[in-house]
Amino acid sequence: MWRRLPAVLLLALFGCPIVLGLLGTLLPALGATPNLAPGNGFAMVLQDSRFVGATLLSLKTGLGATLLVLLFTIIALVSLHNSRLWVWLSATLPPLLAVPHAAIAVGLVFLIAPSGALVRLLSPAITGWTRPPDMWLIPDVYGLSLILGLVIKETPFLLLTAAAQLPQLNVDASLKIGRTLGYSPARCWSRLILPQLYPRIRLTLLIIMAFNLTVVDMALLLGPSNPPTLSVFLMSLVNDPGSRAAASAGAVLLAVLVAVCFAVVVILERLVSTVARVRARSGARGRGSSLFRVFGKLLALLSVSLSIAALFVLLIWSVTQRWRFPDAYPSAWAFDRWFSGNSSLIDPAISTLTIASAAALLAMVAAVTWLELERRGCAPKIDGIWFIPLLVPQVSLLFGWQAMAYWVGADGHWLTVVYTHWLYTMPYVILILAVAWRELDPAWSHAAHALGAGYWRVLFIIRLPLLIKPLSQAFAIAIAVSVAQYLPTLLLGGGRHQTLAIELVTSFGGVDRRTIAALAVLQSVLPLIAFVLALLYPRWCSARLARKNALASRQWIRS
Amino acid sequence: MISLKALASQRRTLVPALLLAAFCSSAVAVEPDSLWSEVTEAAKGQTVYFNAWGGSERINEYLAWSAEQLESRYQVKLEHVKVGDIADIVGQLEAASLVGRDEGGNVDLMWVNGENFAALKNTDLLWGAFADNLPNRNLVQDSPSIRADFSVPVEGLESPWGGAQLVFIVDTAAVPSSPKSAEALLEFVKEGGRFAYPAPPAFHGTTLVKQFLLEVLDGDEAASAALALPVEQADFDNITKPLWDYLDQLHPELRGAGKSWPISAEMTRQLLDDGEVDIALSFNPNEASAAVQNDQLPDSVRTYVFDKGTIGNTHFVTIPWNATAKAGAMVVANFLLSPEAQARKADPAFWGEPTVLDITAMDADQRALFEAVDLGVWALPIEEGNNVLPEPHASWAAALEAAWLERYGQ
Repeated sequence: MWRRLPAVLLLALFGCPIVLGLLGTLLPALGATPNLAPGNGFAMVLQDSRFVGATLLSLKTGLGATLLVLLFTIIALVSLHNSRLWVWLSATLPPLLAVPHAAIAVGLVFLIAPSGALVRLLSPAITGWTRPPDMWLIPDVYGLSLILGLVIKETPFLLLTAAAQLPQLNVDASLKIGRTLGYSPARCWSRLILPQLYPRIRLTLLIIMAFNLTVVDMALLLGPSNPPTLSVFLMSLVNDPGSRAAASAGAVLLAVLVAVCFAVVVILERLVSTVARVRARSGARGRGSSLFRVFGKLLALLSVSLSIAALFVLLIWSVTQRWRFPDAYPSAWAFDRWFSGNSSLIDPAISTLTIASAAALLAMVAAVTWLELERRGCAPKIDGIWFIPLLVPQVSLLFGWQAMAYWVGADGHWLTVVYTHWLYTMPYVILILAVAWRELDPAWSHAAHALGAGYWRVLFIIRLPLLIKPLSQAFAIAIAVSVAQYLPTLLLGGGRHQTLAIELVTSFGGVDRRTIAALAVLQSVLPLIAFVLALLYPRWCSARLARKNALASRQWIRS
Repeated sequence: MISLKALASQRRTLVPALLLAAFCSSAVAVEPDSLWSEVTEAAKGQTVYFNAWGGSERINEYLAWSAEQLESRYQVKLEHVKVGDIADIVGQLEAASLVGRDEGGNVDLMWVNGENFAALKNTDLLWGAFADNLPNRNLVQDSPSIRADFSVPVEGLESPWGGAQLVFIVDTAAVPSSPKSAEALLEFVKEGGRFAYPAPPAFHGTTLVKQFLLEVLDGDEAASAALALPVEQADFDNITKPLWDYLDQLHPELRGAGKSWPISAEMTRQLLDDGEVDIALSFNPNEASAAVQNDQLPDSVRTYVFDKGTIGNTHFVTIPWNATAKAGAMVVANFLLSPEAQARKADPAFWGEPTVLDITAMDADQRALFEAVDLGVWALPIEEGNNVLPEPHASWAAALEAAWLERYGQ
């Protein structure tokens, strides 16, 4: 009983915001808290003239983006497998994954708007435009720019998850067998490999779908505003006590919507696999199509270059003094923005870093504790639980968690913000560490124990140093996740914690493009620095160890 | 209702209050009418969380300068909490009041006017008549918009900070003759001119819609009189019908065809610089000067108002009932009214917003601060600045926004 207590406590700490948060959303929606949120929430939100439009827009952008992400991932996998381009991409994608959504969104606007960098580059020489064209708008009315932003940001996530699974699937052997039987490579993939791969990436796909359907910051920056997506619409209601019930009811409906979409995916899976099984027996070999591979490579290149170009445009704007349409590049530069000790950059950077470090550290300690408990049989193996925060819409969880914080007066406190960030860093940290923890050869610990070392000594001298690589990776990813968080800080921070994410989204409406760019660059650089450090630190550790060993062996020889 | 709330809050706050009293008996609670020396003494070491719209770089920098001054002169730490829409903060205060948090609130000072002030005043969420107790109050001009905020009496509950008037910034390189009425603006967009305004409830969008309402009602005295009274007393549908007729014609011709809207007036200024629109909106007659000097607009821009004038108002700062650092907030409000702070604010090099002080009542040194300010050719010419129309009653804003969203928000 007692040996299970730490695990129970840890689970309670993690589950508390989820359960209380969902309750805090559900109760006001049902009219059970007339003090905080008077009125019949469901009636109010359903009667609002914007509700239907906002819901349809969310469905269109969320499902459209998810479908494209899945499609592009498959196309990229098939066409890039065993190619030289993949070697380059697999090194480029992880850092891109670490760049926050909001920064990419802002960069994309600066890139593809009618007066954006692309048109400036081509005008007036090629296009003949001396003024920005009025043929399109960013953000556009149909949600296309939002879909584009989601696709270029989420495809690398799914692609990397899928690629990490390939080594366990014997892809090359399968391809060889298929080829000897006369099947085209595309058929080999669709008949042999994808059916094995899909179950392994399904959770990631669902996480991406939940995100696409409910994201707030990216939809604010890239989505239509009138009406906006459902979650953005609900955000505009939640701060007014008169419509808090409506916002809560809308958040409940959004959670239901996401659940229904999950169910639809499961049904579709069944349908597709039945059809695929029938077709697999048909024996049709298909024709080889090198065109398909070229198309896939182009698509992957285009998507990655869009992200990189967006970041590059941000970098340019952050050192610009004057850059008018249709000049191809700035006419006056201002590098001093980065070096003048500008408090509008430094303060939010510090605020972001302290929250991120604390949330990452908390996640590391919690994850290591849990995995050690699990290893010693004091905690069950329940990986699914940790992913709940990623599958529940942020607004559905955080509206209620914010209401709870109001009640006990905990909103605005730094610890409340860190606690809420921890909820979102924990899944990634445990995902990375769990694999490494379970794979680590227990012989190391056994040997150390046999030599008389106690539990803590073995943990700190043997196990943690052996796992330094995944530990540093997990820490870097936790930093990246926290740096990108917008809603938790906004809703729980009470305005007291102005992180880069908050500053970036708030200032997008008005502040100078040059400052917005600087904020976005800074928000992208922080996680990148964490990634570089995570790469270098294990090497530095092993180099130090090697030096020490060399020294020790020399001394041993001398003596 | 009020007494229930008071009872509940007494029970909640009694124990912490006793504890607090036991531990820091030296701290003096200030009242809105405390002696000023007591206020400055109590303010020392306090941190004031000033919730103010954070969408303008120059305003943010001006507040950063104010923070430095306040720290060194009064040992008051000013934290600018950058807000997207102050109505959100009004909502948070209402929520705090509903859960009985009558002390230790997150907001010490906030930047408000119009319907947000009216909402706070109506729900009794303001601290008191602190503004009449500020030493610099004596320098403030006497004007209708300072006595009543969108027709709602101020009564010392908020302290004036700056004057504003709806103005249009035009790029004369693209537009030789500016459209100076709602009718002319419609002609202008029909002939291919590029214009867009932020969708209500964005503040500037709502103001422009009110401006259009005044223009289309011009000559209808009964309707114009109804605008000065609460909207509940008016025949809203009848009065606003010409407005919707006008907007129905205007919207298809706008950039974005009435389906996509700029987020804010600042964004229209950015679009003007990019050439995506020909005319931008601002609530600051000197905005263009500041922007040109800051490399954000071309030299060819000029500022103007409609021939029959445009809506003007005053904006204020106020202290919520549950503020933590009330003394500090008063010191900040008083500093913001000082001739030095107001003169710097009036200078387009820093912010460039009209002062609320009465320059003629100042001594020579103080006046010199204002006379040194160069507004530049890009700002609204002084003589046009007198052409100010009053705001409709505060209740019209919400009604117009709701009706606008009902019609065009889907």
